[in-house]
Amino acid sequence: MFKSKVFHSAILVVFISIILSGCASKEELCKTNITVWHWMTDREPAFKELAKRYEAKSGIKVNFDLYAPSDAYSQKVRAAAQGANLPDIFGILGEKRDFASFIKAGFILKLTPYMNEDNAKWKNSLFAKALAVNEFDEGNSYGVDSGIYGVPIDIMTIQMVYNKSLFRQLGLNPNKPPKDFTELLEIGKKISAAKLQGLVSGWGEVWMIDCFANNYAFNIMGKDKVIATIKGEVSYTDPDWIKVLSLFKDMQQSGLFASGLVTMVNKTAEQLFANEKAVFAFNGSWCVNVYKEMNPKLEYGAFLPPQASDKYPMAIWGGAGSSFVVSARSKNKEEAVKFLRWLTERDQQVYLAEATNNLPANKDSLSKIPDILAGFARAMDSATHPRVWGVSEFSPVIEAFDKGIQSIIIGEKTPEQVAAEVQRIKERELAKKR
Amino acid sequence: MQSTIYYKAKKTTVNLIIHLFLLTVGITCVFPLLWMISSSLKTQETIFKDMSIIPKSFHFENYYHAWIEGGFGRYFLNSIFYTVAVVIGIVIISSMAAYAFSRLRFAGRNVLFVIFMAAMMIPIQGSFVALYVLLNKLHLRNTSLGYILCMINVGLSTSIFLLKTFFDKMPKELEDAARIDGCSKIGIWWHVALPLAKPVLAVVVVLNALNVWNEFILALLIFDSRPLMPLQVALMTFQGEFVTRYPLLMAGLTIAALPIIILYLLMQKYIIKGVTQGAVVG
Repeated sequence: MFKSKVFHSAILVVFISIILSGCASKEELCKTNITVWHWMTDREPAFKELAKRYEAKSGIKVNFDLYAPSDAYSQKVRAAAQGANLPDIFGILGEKRDFASFIKAGFILKLTPYMNEDNAKWKNSLFAKALAVNEFDEGNSYGVDSGIYGVPIDIMTIQMVYNKSLFRQLGLNPNKPPKDFTELLEIGKKISAAKLQGLVSGWGEVWMIDCFANNYAFNIMGKDKVIATIKGEVSYTDPDWIKVLSLFKDMQQSGLFASGLVTMVNKTAEQLFANEKAVFAFNGSWCVNVYKEMNPKLEYGAFLPPQASDKYPMAIWGGAGSSFVVSARSKNKEEAVKFLRWLTERDQQVYLAEATNNLPANKDSLSKIPDILAGFARAMDSATHPRVWGVSEFSPVIEAFDKGIQSIIIGEKTPEQVAAEVQRIKERELAKKR
Repeated sequence: MQSTIYYKAKKTTVNLIIHLFLLTVGITCVFPLLWMISSSLKTQETIFKDMSIIPKSFHFENYYHAWIEGGFGRYFLNSIFYTVAVVIGIVIISSMAAYAFSRLRFAGRNVLFVIFMAAMMIPIQGSFVALYVLLNKLHLRNTSLGYILCMINVGLSTSIFLLKTFFDKMPKELEDAARIDGCSKIGIWWHVALPLAKPVLAVVVVLNALNVWNEFILALLIFDSRPLMPLQVALMTFQGEFVTRYPLLMAGLTIAALPIIILYLLMQKYIIKGVTQGAVVG
């Protein structure tokens, strides 16, 4: 009898507490002036500090709410959009078509008028290529009204990095990374002779192999021909594409690649490079933070992948790292835009770069950030990104292309065989589309 | 004589193989735990350089930092509260429902049961948006009550299935005797069915406690207010977009795993009984 009473009382207490705790949360939310949802765990303390500074300056409280990991964040944003609960400021992860669907549904405020105020002062302060990711051109294939819809908070570029100590060990000048492809292959031979590990990268995650190959495709045949290939107007069996694929064979034969590169994930590659076990790495600008955490004493430099041709400039992937948008249904739209403008001003961008080791989106901040970061940021002039090309390749073609490169590296197939196979899949996909 | 030696040798060999197999399985199960504890005592730098299970120097301060930086105090209490509330809810509702499905005769009983079982097949991720919209309409989003109701709903199907299987096997004579003694249907459920179902209830409690304790995606979806979040959300603090603070993450995981390990150890006797008595037969 006593046991039964205790059990019933316990249940009663639990449920009363549930109901009471359910009522508590709403009051807290009312105090917030601007709410920002984000997924960037490593930037949370810096954002909180900036929110404090903004409150001191303007009297407006900004509440940064972190929802990580990014998959869960994306689901929350989608659900909140359907429930009409989007915060004042948020970010959209995913492809450009996801971004477009939010705009078409009327969830996102168009920022072009704000960007163009005072002779486009705000717009001109940001890297154009970072803005391009948040911009829709006239007559875009997504059917979105042209304009700028997002504000880049930081940028990223994907380049090559080299270990200066291992360069010294190889008898090379630690301040002179290879200038062209021939020089890179020569270093590859030295690496092989010294029994060191050469290039590491996350080429097991095929998008990084795609990125590297595209850099050289832009360098060898130029942007127009690459786009024409994606449109189906140029064949993958074209001599220029064979040349791109042959570069991988040359690199493999010179001994430039680290063992296991084909199946390597980027975390492993980062670990190897940070622990001075590899001479080169192909990685994004986020690596500055990663290497600092893994080995603060690491001495390294960044450089563009060495040119294989003088015909066209080398292009690398880059653009906006993370961007924020303003909810079109927010009651605090104007305040939200003002806050984003403040957040992308030089001083705040310098603080963010220093605190988080991410590249600032504001062009004027470069002189005030560490050398290695500035090195990555300077390469922004050479940056491009599939999201701004206006066309996209079929997924099976990308897969065949990337896996084909892996086959070339392990000596399973020749560049010609891979090119023919990719073209066959391309034609199949084009026929399906027709 | 020869056959005795043969059978002894055979028995020893078979035992050796079985023990080797069990030892391998045991090591495979324990190794990740050991690795987690070992990593929790290293530094961010040594975690990538020192691959040994026993670190060269022990950094117990990682546990303190994980607790403080992750704000574990508040989240820990939240998780305990959610786990207790959800498990109590599931035990009461599922045992009543399972008893009804097993003993009461009513129209649509089988159809209803099949519907409940079908719910087991739907992954929770598939119902996120629908749940969010529903809770929003009921004004239960960003409330503990909304989260607890969702989690009770998540655990009901499996629990009903386990308990119904047990009640189906329960002798009817026991109920008849209780009825003769003047017990109502609720009385039989409370005084006869539930005490007999202790081993199965232990399985239900552990399975659901584990599920609620480790859940965080639904919590992230439902809660906007950070003070309402459960413990698992705090672990995300250490996982950056590109950089993960492994020692703190491992220390946090060790702290988070402790209550469930203790719960399992406390209920181990009942769980084994529950499983061996056919709680999961079906």
